[in-house]
Amino acid sequence: MAQKLVIDPVTRVEGHGKVTIHLDDHNNVKDAFFHIVEFRGFERFIQGHPYWEAPVMVQRLCGICPVSHHLAAAKAIDQIVGVDPKDLSLPAQKIRKLMHFGQVFQSHALHFFYLASPDLLFGHDADPLKRNIVGVAMEYPKLAKKGILMRKFGQEVIKLVAGKRIHGISTTPGGVHRRITAKERNYFLDDKEIPSVDTMIKWSVEIIDFMKEYHEKNKEFLDTFAAYPSGHLGLVNKENGFLELYDGDLRATDSEGNITLDDVPNDDYNEYFYESVEKWSYLKFPYLKHLGREKGWNRVGPLARINICEGIETPLAEKERLVFKAASNGKTNNSTMHTHWARLIEILYCAEMMKKLLEDDDILSNDLIRKGVRRKEGVGIIEAPRGTLIHHYEVDDKDRITRCNLIVSTTHNNEPMNQAVRWVANNVLSGQPEITEGMMNQIEVVIRAYDPCLSCATHALGQMPLELIIYDQYGNIVDEKLR
Amino acid sequence: MKNYDNKIIVIGIGNSGRQDDGLGWAFLDEITPKLPPNFDVEYRYQLQIEDAELISHYETVFFVDAHKQVLENGVIIEKCIPIETHSFSSHALPPETILFLAKTVYDKNPVSYIIGISGENFELNIGLTNKAKNNLEKAMSQFLNNFIKQKQATNISQ
Repeated sequence: MAQKLVIDPVTRVEGHGKVTIHLDDHNNVKDAFFHIVEFRGFERFIQGHPYWEAPVMVQRLCGICPVSHHLAAAKAIDQIVGVDPKDLSLPAQKIRKLMHFGQVFQSHALHFFYLASPDLLFGHDADPLKRNIVGVAMEYPKLAKKGILMRKFGQEVIKLVAGKRIHGISTTPGGVHRRITAKERNYFLDDKEIPSVDTMIKWSVEIIDFMKEYHEKNKEFLDTFAAYPSGHLGLVNKENGFLELYDGDLRATDSEGNITLDDVPNDDYNEYFYESVEKWSYLKFPYLKHLGREKGWNRVGPLARINICEGIETPLAEKERLVFKAASNGKTNNSTMHTHWARLIEILYCAEMMKKLLEDDDILSNDLIRKGVRRKEGVGIIEAPRGTLIHHYEVDDKDRITRCNLIVSTTHNNEPMNQAVRWVANNVLSGQPEITEGMMNQIEVVIRAYDPCLSCATHALGQMPLELIIYDQYGNIVDEKLR
Repeated sequence: MKNYDNKIIVIGIGNSGRQDDGLGWAFLDEITPKLPPNFDVEYRYQLQIEDAELISHYETVFFVDAHKQVLENGVIIEKCIPIETHSFSSHALPPETILFLAKTVYDKNPVSYIIGISGENFELNIGLTNKAKNNLEKAMSQFLNNFIKQKQATNISQ
């Protein structure tokens, strides 16, 4: 009898989603969907608020990456007060970047140690009661301790700049509120009260070594599991095409590395992107207009960023990028599970950048705010931990926001995640006489590789989990997974 | 930036944007000026795994949170012990799990209490209900009487 599989909730992701898989009479997969079932409406209810409230309000989209929303909105609001990114004072740029690198560092550490590592350390067939961070802490306490302290380091950097770890305030239109003091920065350098930034670099290298070793032992799994061709999108440095997380041009390539979006300035994004909707998900599907809905979708996030960039400015991360590139023979890497590896290279990059910025005396300067000529519109694009994040605001003469458009990282990854779910459904579940828990977990494993933030993407309140349901051809639920 | 010189920490858990869910934070707002100098306080939306590292630096920990149930006298103060649990959410762990992780990862087992304060409404709004304000007063009074006035603060962990 035909069936429909449902995973609801999908676990160890940020947000609430559901997977449904439709099987025929012979247990072959007919179709598979990754549904996002939260609804929010930030774009709507921010209308009418004064523009300077946007960076404070929109960071409430998320408890994991509020800094990214804060900064993307701040960059857009800078433009409304007439200040382009290049015109921001150097100290303000560096203080913002310091907070951003702290944010990406702690978010990536959270994802790798808390969400992804249980699958890698115990295997996707392990007992679900063990396959979680508590299990990791019990069996690998040293690793867990490093994970905790790495996340804490990033959060302390955020607290340094923004006043608190979650939903702090750092930016003001055209700059930042306050400078860093010498005493404050020494906290991160002297290795006394917390492990220093040098220790963070050392641990980042160690965890990449772990991943390379894991790759050696599990090459086929990492290289081929949910590997499928896709476009790759992200920001690159305007001068040299290097990895860029704070401010750069938009670049995209196809699955073979051919340029499909050629270093487009942020302000022009709207000319190149369109978002389609499907009746089965609250999450939109962005794509490049000139390539269309079928061919124009792109992965975003660590794997995409490492694919599209031409180098990394910090020496240790660049060395690891070259090793990573060699693993795919220098070609564009379409192996979904390599996203974990790319994420760790970015952890190292962030650690090196934090050291560089903490040791830069510019962050001690009082030259913090610039002013310009008022405009009616502003676009802020940033690379959030999960990928390219776009904030776009229009304001009226009374300083009220009249239009807001947010294209969030996980939204870009909507089609890629659906492709990944279909890959597992077709290659792991299809035709099997019995669907085991381990098989079902493999659906979640590929979704987790993207580190989706479903709350951000639907702009949601409420419970966070994700679910998997199997339906027969008549729409009857035959099996479901609820944790 | 903490130097962990103090031995006791009070962690308020909640969200002041959700009416009475803000009880944990309101408790900290009210109690902090009345605390002896050997107390630290921390505000949290939810407990996370890194809080295991935080409490590993203390001898005594108080977790203060809103309670959805109607409690007798509006407040409950009870001892909290480490319990191994397997929550599916990485960003909302119960105090017992935090204690379990502190014991497992850091080999520390601070004396711990949960102070639960009854709330009435938990909708999207700012401000406590009158019933919650009343229960907050009771919780403050019990805490001050049981842990501050009647005992020397330095003896709490003994």
